[in-house]
Amino acid sequence: MSYAYLFKYIIIGDTGVGKSCLLLQFTDKRFQPVHDLTIGVEFGARMITIDSKQIKLQIWDTAGQEAFRSITRSYYRGAAGALLVYDITRRETFNHLTTWLEDARQHSNSNMVIMLIGNKSDLETRREVKKEEGEAFAREHGLVFMETSAKTAANVEEAFINTAKEIYEKIQEGVFDINNEANGIKIGPQHSPTNPSLPGTGGSGGSQGSGCC
Amino acid sequence: MEYFKNSLKSVLGAPPPGTQMTGAETVETLLARVSTSTLLEDRRDACRAIKALSKQYRLEVGAQGMDILRQVLELDRNDPEIIGYCLDALCNVTSKNILKDECENNANVGEQFSEMFLKNPENVSLVLSFLEEYDFRVRWPAVKLLTSLTNSRPKDIQDLILVSPMGVSKLMDLLSENREVIRNDAVLLLISLTKSNANIQKIVAFENAFDKLLNIISEEEYTNGDIVVEDCLLLMLNLLKNNTSNINFFKEGSYIQKLAPMFILPDNLEEVGWSPQKISNFHCVLQVVRTLVSPNNPAQIVTSCQKTLRNANLLESFCNILMASGVPADILTEIINTVGEVIRGNLTNQEYFANVLAPSNPPRPALVVLIMSMVNEKQPFTLRCAVLYCFECFLYKNEIGQELVVQTLLPSSTGNTTVTTGQLLCSGLFSNDSLSNWFCAVALSHCLIENPSQKEQLLRVLLATNLGAQPVTLLNQCGVFLQHTSKLQAKLGILMLISMWMAHCPAAVKIFLNVPGAMAFLTAQTSASEFDNNEELLQGLCAFIMGLCVLFNDNSVQNYSKENLAQLIEKRVGLETYCKKLSEVSRHEVYARAAKQPQIKAKHSNELLLEFEFCKLFKVMECLIIQALGVQRDLSNGISELSLSEHENALLLQYKDLIRDQDKKLQDLQKKYNHLQKEFNELKAQMEELQQTNTQLVDQNTLLKAQLSAGTTQVTNIIHEIQAPAPPPTVDSQPVFIHGNNDALLERIKKLEADNERLEKVEEELAEKTSEIESYQRDQDDLLQLLTFQDTKLNKFKERLRQLGALPHSDESSSDVSDNEKDKESGPSLL
Repeated sequence: MSYAYLFKYIIIGDTGVGKSCLLLQFTDKRFQPVHDLTIGVEFGARMITIDSKQIKLQIWDTAGQEAFRSITRSYYRGAAGALLVYDITRRETFNHLTTWLEDARQHSNSNMVIMLIGNKSDLETRREVKKEEGEAFAREHGLVFMETSAKTAANVEEAFINTAKEIYEKIQEGVFDINNEANGIKIGPQHSPTNPSLPGTGGSGGSQGSGCC
Repeated sequence: MEYFKNSLKSVLGAPPPGTQMTGAETVETLLARVSTSTLLEDRRDACRAIKALSKQYRLEVGAQGMDILRQVLELDRNDPEIIGYCLDALCNVTSKNILKDECENNANVGEQFSEMFLKNPENVSLVLSFLEEYDFRVRWPAVKLLTSLTNSRPKDIQDLILVSPMGVSKLMDLLSENREVIRNDAVLLLISLTKSNANIQKIVAFENAFDKLLNIISEEEYTNGDIVVEDCLLLMLNLLKNNTSNINFFKEGSYIQKLAPMFILPDNLEEVGWSPQKISNFHCVLQVVRTLVSPNNPAQIVTSCQKTLRNANLLESFCNILMASGVPADILTEIINTVGEVIRGNLTNQEYFANVLAPSNPPRPALVVLIMSMVNEKQPFTLRCAVLYCFECFLYKNEIGQELVVQTLLPSSTGNTTVTTGQLLCSGLFSNDSLSNWFCAVALSHCLIENPSQKEQLLRVLLATNLGAQPVTLLNQCGVFLQHTSKLQAKLGILMLISMWMAHCPAAVKIFLNVPGAMAFLTAQTSASEFDNNEELLQGLCAFIMGLCVLFNDNSVQNYSKENLAQLIEKRVGLETYCKKLSEVSRHEVYARAAKQPQIKAKHSNELLLEFEFCKLFKVMECLIIQALGVQRDLSNGISELSLSEHENALLLQYKDLIRDQDKKLQDLQKKYNHLQKEFNELKAQMEELQQTNTQLVDQNTLLKAQLSAGTTQVTNIIHEIQAPAPPPTVDSQPVFIHGNNDALLERIKKLEADNERLEKVEEELAEKTSEIESYQRDQDDLLQLLTFQDTKLNKFKERLRQLGALPHSDESSSDVSDNEKDKESGPSLL
């Protein structure tokens, strides 16, 4: 259960683009064609390995409906990564990306890594948004881009892992202040400055919650 | 107060001699001063005074001052002191509590003022923004004002905080505050804010609440800490209760492991003892654990939390506390409940628990020790209930555990002298304490749930009642005890055990039917017309058992075959009375209370009458019994699908399917018919068109014929004219005459020549016309042929229509007969 780092992700995007399905595919490796609307926010977690380091991903799946937008905003600040999802078979979900991006940029910390995801790539016949358009949008706004299918699992792993890699690189470069938990990054128990086997001394690390177990 | 009056004087100036200002007037003057004064110091002094008056004159301050105070918050926000006064004053005004100096009839004032204040959503953002102000004089009153508002109008403020950007984040930052007073008040505020609002709960959890709270708890030395530990735990409890997402996060975030230090009992506990605060803290942390594994949660979550609790050695810690000495009774009770829910339905945990030994001499299984307390009258009631619940949890979906308990009752070859669970249960079952009877009966019944083999095994149990007397079976003894005991609780317990036993077990029914007097007792109870004090439950249960005897009867007892018993019910009790007695049970409030949750919840021992699993059984069996007796449901109640039995329901479904099928067929035919009708109409139109062209052609034909005949007569005339012999030319001596005659002849010849020419032309024309006619005739022939072809085709279609049943049989082959005419024709025959 020990990990080097813990990253907090959020998944955002219009309703019905497949956010919950992406999460389910990533955490449980299954696809559920009929899913109820997400009410508020749901939680999922998984361990991945980058650079032979264990990294724990905690993912909050938000509700895409307009009514929950203000609730979603509360999650931006504490997240290290965000998956911004649209549906390649529905042009309007692509058109709304600008609004989502503005929202995210306004409320998140400036270092948050945003991955743009065109989901439902298995529905090629119903495609309304070209892959090139997604690439262009990502380039223009400085995002990483990928087309995925929560149904066939294509690129789902990669989407989550590449985001984590990006965050990991930023940590290596010293861009992230890893001691500030508000950034959505935590250092794992064995990496904390204090010895985890001695309870009671963990408090000296300030807000290091993980030092005392 | 004197100081206060002096300060008032200094603010307002000395009142004119001889006049005494009322409170309301003072408030009014002060508020005017706040809103008009240009000097900050004046406004500040006025606000200080208003704050002081806001308790005693809160009606006045609230009614007149709300807007003015709000303005100050906006305009003077750079002065911490005045902001502090304003926030304090608003806090007093919006407080839900009745303040000290206040009269009683202001009960709802706080809520009303809160509502007023919250009407403007910006007010909340404004107050929230003061949380970012580090100055103690601002931050603390801001927290207090929010708390006051939350207590008065929780729903409103929850909604407003959710929509105000970073609202929750700002509150969460307060948990890292190093001024404890603010931090502790923030915890209290968050407790009220997270009450029954899943969205706020999730955001708070997302903002590292568990980390922060566990930090505070560890800083405060876990359960040894003061009330702030309890508050932190209460907040955690709010975040987790019924919130699957947060429970999942709690488990995934390894927070369960971080609870472990809370359950380590210090070695010197017996000297130190349990302080009331420690008891409260402990109670709360146990509640947190129970929320994770509550039977109300989705099974998947419960299972994974149970696993984590075992792997983190928390189950072990619980069992240690369970067996430790000096643990206060209410903590022990809660620990027992917790252990129960941690092992419930989880085989590995149940096995672990079965092997826990109590540190007694000789060591006994913890289960035995627990059952001993359950049948011990001296133990507190809630503790005994907890033991039963824990025992039930141990047996829940645990065939091995059920077998284990039943085995301790069977005559064994090993002359075991130690006390066993089974023995304790059996002696408790027939003891003088009716509560013990009830507990043991329920406990035994749980050994039999969905376990046919244990039902058979338990039938083998023999009891030695009196010295020298023949041993009797356990079931037999139950039947006898049922008739002898006078206590309702004991009777109901035994009846629940018997019904659990006999359901799906004809062998048990057989033995029970042979118990002397048993059936007579049941019949008497069921047919009794009067009852008081919950006796309707007894009568209902007796009816239920009779029903089970019918349902699971293998006809092996002579006088009580299926048929006989059904007759007995019908003749002696009457079906209507019987059904009424049965339905009395599920309508009883005791039933409703017991069916709510598996845990046994009661304040007094006499409230314990029915039990959760029995209610489940009753619900299933009631329908089957009524169906077996062939009773029609009371129609006045209206038949809803819910009230139908399984069989009736199946029948209903069958009919529904049939109707659906027929409906589909009907629709298909209708569609086909419409199609054919359309085709028919098209053909009809086509035919009419053809007929029309035909007549046209015929007309044309006659016209041409007439023209032809006219042409022919003309030609013959001309021919006659030509053929008529011309008079031979007479040569006359009279040249003039001849000449004249010659001229006439020449003219004549010319005319004839012209005539001839014309004739030739006409002949040519004629030949042309004839050929034309010939071609027309050919055309007509072709058309006629086509017509006949169409006609036969039409007939064929009609035949097909008739075959498909779309047209009534009629010899009329003419397609001209309209449907209306046909209707008219067939009309009378229908009459």
